[in-house]
Amino acid sequence: MSTNLMPDDRRSLTARLSALQYLVAAVFALLAVGFWIFQIAQHDKFREMAENNRTRKLPLPAPRGVLLDRNGKVLVANQSTTNIALVREQTKNIPEVLHLLAEATGADEQELNEIVNRRRREPSFRPIVLIENASDAQYAAFMARRLELTGIIAQTVPARHYPENASAAHLFGYVGEITDAQLQRDDYQGAEAGSIVGQAGVELAYNKKLMGVDGAKTVVVNSVGREIRPLEEMPPTIGRPMQLTIDSDIQKAVEDGFTASGFNGAAIVLDPRDGGVLGFTSRPAYDPNAFAAGIDRTTWAALNSDPLKPLQNRALQGRYSPGSTFKPAVGLAGLEEGIITPSFTVHCAGGATFYGRRFACWKKGGHGAVDLRKAIEQSCDVYFYTVGNMLGVDRINKWATLFGLGVKSNIELPNELVGLVPSTEWKREKMHEKWYAGETISVAIGQGQVSVTPVSMAVYVATLANGGTRVTPHLVMAEDDGAGLKPVPPPPPQSKVDVTPEKLQAIRDGMWGVVNGGGTGGRARVEGHDVCGKTGTAQVISNAARLIAQAKNKNVDYRDHGWFIFFAPRDNPTIAGVVFLEHGIHGPNAASVAHHILATYFAKQDGKPLPPPPTHEDLRLDYKDPYARGGAPTGGGH
Amino acid sequence: MLERRLYFHIDWLLLGAIVILGAIGIAMVNSATYMTTPAGGHTSGMVWTQLYAFGIGLVALLVFLVIDYRVFAEHSLLIYGALIVLLVFVLVKGQTQMGAQRWIPIGPFHLQPSEFGRISVALMLAMFFGENRRGAKNTSDLLMGGVLMLIPLLLIAKQPDLGTAVTLLPVFVGIAFLAGLRMRLLGIIAIACLPLGLFGYKFALKDYQKQRIQTFLNPEQDPRGAGYQTIQARITVGSGGLTGLGYLKGTQAQYKFLPVAQNDFVFSVLAEEQGFIGVLTALGLYLFVILRSFEAARLAKDRLGAYLVGGIISGFAFQVIYNVTMSAGLAPVKGITLPLMSYGGSSLIASLASFGLVLNVRMRRFTN
Repeated sequence: MSTNLMPDDRRSLTARLSALQYLVAAVFALLAVGFWIFQIAQHDKFREMAENNRTRKLPLPAPRGVLLDRNGKVLVANQSTTNIALVREQTKNIPEVLHLLAEATGADEQELNEIVNRRRREPSFRPIVLIENASDAQYAAFMARRLELTGIIAQTVPARHYPENASAAHLFGYVGEITDAQLQRDDYQGAEAGSIVGQAGVELAYNKKLMGVDGAKTVVVNSVGREIRPLEEMPPTIGRPMQLTIDSDIQKAVEDGFTASGFNGAAIVLDPRDGGVLGFTSRPAYDPNAFAAGIDRTTWAALNSDPLKPLQNRALQGRYSPGSTFKPAVGLAGLEEGIITPSFTVHCAGGATFYGRRFACWKKGGHGAVDLRKAIEQSCDVYFYTVGNMLGVDRINKWATLFGLGVKSNIELPNELVGLVPSTEWKREKMHEKWYAGETISVAIGQGQVSVTPVSMAVYVATLANGGTRVTPHLVMAEDDGAGLKPVPPPPPQSKVDVTPEKLQAIRDGMWGVVNGGGTGGRARVEGHDVCGKTGTAQVISNAARLIAQAKNKNVDYRDHGWFIFFAPRDNPTIAGVVFLEHGIHGPNAASVAHHILATYFAKQDGKPLPPPPTHEDLRLDYKDPYARGGAPTGGGH
Repeated sequence: MLERRLYFHIDWLLLGAIVILGAIGIAMVNSATYMTTPAGGHTSGMVWTQLYAFGIGLVALLVFLVIDYRVFAEHSLLIYGALIVLLVFVLVKGQTQMGAQRWIPIGPFHLQPSEFGRISVALMLAMFFGENRRGAKNTSDLLMGGVLMLIPLLLIAKQPDLGTAVTLLPVFVGIAFLAGLRMRLLGIIAIACLPLGLFGYKFALKDYQKQRIQTFLNPEQDPRGAGYQTIQARITVGSGGLTGLGYLKGTQAQYKFLPVAQNDFVFSVLAEEQGFIGVLTALGLYLFVILRSFEAARLAKDRLGAYLVGGIISGFAFQVIYNVTMSAGLAPVKGITLPLMSYGGSSLIASLASFGLVLNVRMRRFTN
C-alpha cells in the first residue's frame, strides 16, 4: 500500500517545499537584521541601560566642616549616628514591612508611611531614612528581626554635634534635610534629595563652605536590589573647618548670666575695634542637636507653637523700644549739632511740660540741676526731653542712624530685621501724616515709635566705644582654603563719622558714671577696670494701657524690658555689648547679667581664674514691678 | 534492524548540527541558571537535568531512526490515542507547577505529554493526508485534519499552556500546504480566524494572557510589572554587542534581570554573552537544520515521509522563529520554548526524537 510519489505530485511538492524554504530563509534574514539593530546599532543605549540595571550609586554623606572658637576650641563637630532606612526595591510589601518595623522599634507607623509616601518619586534603590538617630534599643530591635524586615537597612552617617547643646543655638543655627525649594536653587548644586544642609544661623549662612563633598559607593546588585559586590568607592570629602570670632569663655559667661537671671532675651558681645562677635545668645533657645539627625514631628511642632517662640532669633529679629539706652545718642547728636555743650544744664523738677502736655521724669522728686554727664549717669528724662525738643526728630534720626540704630547691622546671619528711628520723612511716607513736635519728646528717651534690634544696639555701643566707626558685626575669623586656617579680614565698616573727641568724651564720661559714679548701672562695675554703660527700662505699653490690658488678660507679660549697653575700658575699649532682658523689669537687672560677662572677660585678660557661674541670688535682681508708677504717658526710666 | 546499507544514508551533517545546537543549549542553560553569589558562584542542578535529558533524547532519536517511519505511521492512531489519554490524564491528575497543570511524575522525572503532541499530530496527519488515495485535496479532508489537530490543541490549551498548544497549528498548516491545499482556502481560513481571534481575545483569553499582549504593544507603560520581561529582553540582547560579554559574564543574565531565562529566554542569554556573532552562528545552525530537513522531505520516497518531515519541521521552524523574536523583545511573551536549547527534559527529548524521524525519512529514501 505504498504511495510512492508520482512525477506530477513530486513537482508540486518540490515547489511548495521550496516556497517554505524561501519563506523560512527570509524570516531568518529579518531576524538577523533585528538583532543587528539591537546589538550593533543600538548597543550603546542598551549597554547603558544594562549598567543602570546592575549598578547602584549610594551617597556617602560628607561630614560638615568643624566650627572652632577664636582660641581653637571646638564649638560644633560631628559624630556618627545610626539611621534605619528603607530600600524600596528590596521589598515587595512596603506597608507590611513598615508595620513590622513600627512594631519592633516603637516608631509611629503612620509617620513611617508618610515619610515613604513623601519620597515616593525618588529612585527605588535610594534608601529612605525612616528613623534618624536610632537609639541602641531600636537598633537592637531591628537587628533581632532583620530577616522579616526585608529592605530595611541600618546605616551609619555623620551627624552634626553641638557639645554645648543650646548654647548660641541661634548663632550656630541647625541643619536639616534639604527642602524642595532649596533643591531648585543654584547655590545647592551637587546636593541631592535627602542631603543634610544648613537651615539656620552660621550653618545656613556658610552652608556652601561647610558642606563638603558627598562621596559615593557604586555597588553591583542583582535583580532584587541585593548588593553582590562593591564596584568602586569615592570617599566623601569633609567640609572645611571654620574659625569663628566667638570666645567660648565669653559665650559661656553670656549663657551662664542669662541662666542665672531666669529671663528671656538676647545678648551680643563684640570687639568694638573690628566688630568680631565674642558672645551671642537669644533666649529661649532650642537644642540644635535635636535637628542634627532629623527632628521628629512632635518636637518640631512644640518649638513652633511655643508662645515664647524659641526658634525666633531675638538678637536679629526682636524689635524693642531702647528706652534710656537711647539717651547717649541724643546727647551726642545735641553736642555734634552744636545745640548743647557738655556743660549745658537743665533743672529737673520731676517732670516738664512740652506743647501743653506734662512729661514725667522717672524720679518723682526730680534730679535738680543736671549737666550732660550727670543726666546720663542718672538717666534724667527731663534733660533729654529738653535736648530732644531742641534737636528735632530729624537730627536725632541722623545721628542714631550714623550709630547703627534703625538700620541693618549686616551681620552675616540670615533674616535680620530692621528697627525704626522715626523721622518726619518716615512719617510722611508711611503714615501720610505730618510729624508733631510733641512726638519728639518720647523719642528723645527711646520710647514712642523707636524700636531697635539687640544686634543694632551692639553696633551702636561699639560705635560709641570706637569713636564713630559703625563696624559690621561678623562671625568668621579664619577659613580653611585647603592649606590650613587663614585669617579672614573683617568686613569693612558700614559707615564712619568723625566725632569730635572732646564731645564723645563727655558721653563716655557720663556712661562711666553710670557704672562707677553711683549711677543706674553700678552692678556692672568690675574692680580695677573702667566699665562704661547705660541702663534702659523700656515700657512695653503705656502705663495707663497696661493697667487695663493686664486686668483683661493675666497671662500676657506686660512687664518692662531691661537693657544694658556697655563697653570697656573707657579709653581704647576692647569689648562692647548689649544685654537685653525681655520683660526684665529693670535696666539694672541687665547690668547684673553684664557684670558676669565683663568679670569673665577681664579675669581672662588678666590671667586670673574665671569667675564661677553666678547663682540667681548673686545677681540680686530687682523684681519690684514699678507699674504703679504715676499716670504719666511716658517715663522711661533709669 | 538497521541494515548496513542504510547507515551510509544517515545525514551526518544534519545530525551534527542538531548535536551542536543541543550542546550550545546545555551551555546556555548552565549560564542562565548559574548561581551568582557575593562569594562567587556555582553551577545549579538544572544543567545536569538537561544533560541527562540530552542523553535520553539521543537514545530516543536512535529509536525513532532505527524503526522504519512507516511502522510509526501505521501505529499513528494508537500513538495519537495514547497522547489524548495522557493529556486528559494530566488535566485530571497532573502535577501543578507555576499555576499550570502540565506534568505527570514518573519516578524522578516529570513527563510533559504536551511536548510530544507535535510528533504525534505530525504522524497522524501525515498518515491521514499521505495515505489518502484521493490526494487529500478537498475541504472535508481539510476539516477532518483540522479536527485531529484541534483536539490535543484544546486539551493542552486547557492546562493552560497556550504556547505549546499553538505550536500544533503550524504542523497542520505545513502538512496541509504540502498536501496541495489550495492557497485560496488557507486565505479564507485565515480571514475566518480573524473575527474568531478577536472573539477569543475578548472572551476566551485569561486576564494574564490579555495583559501580555497589551504589555507587548506598550512595554513602557509598566516597566516594573508586566512590561518588565519585554524591556529586559531588549536590554539583554542589546547589551551583548558584536562579540558579547563572555560566557557567564552577561550582567543581565547573571544578576537575573530576566527571570527564568533558561526556559523562554535562553536565546537572550546567548545574545548577551556571545554577541551578534553568536546569534548569527546559532541562527545559521537553526536555518541549516530547517532547510536541510526540508531537503529530506523533498527526497522522501513517499508522500507520507514528505508530509511527516514537512509537518515536524514546520512546527520546529515556527517555534524557533517565534522564540527568537520573543527573545529580542519583539514578540509578546508566550510560553514558547526554543527547541533543542531551552531548559526542559520532555521538550529536548521530543525534539531529538522528532529529528530521529526526519533522519529516518531521508535515510530510507531508496528502500521499498
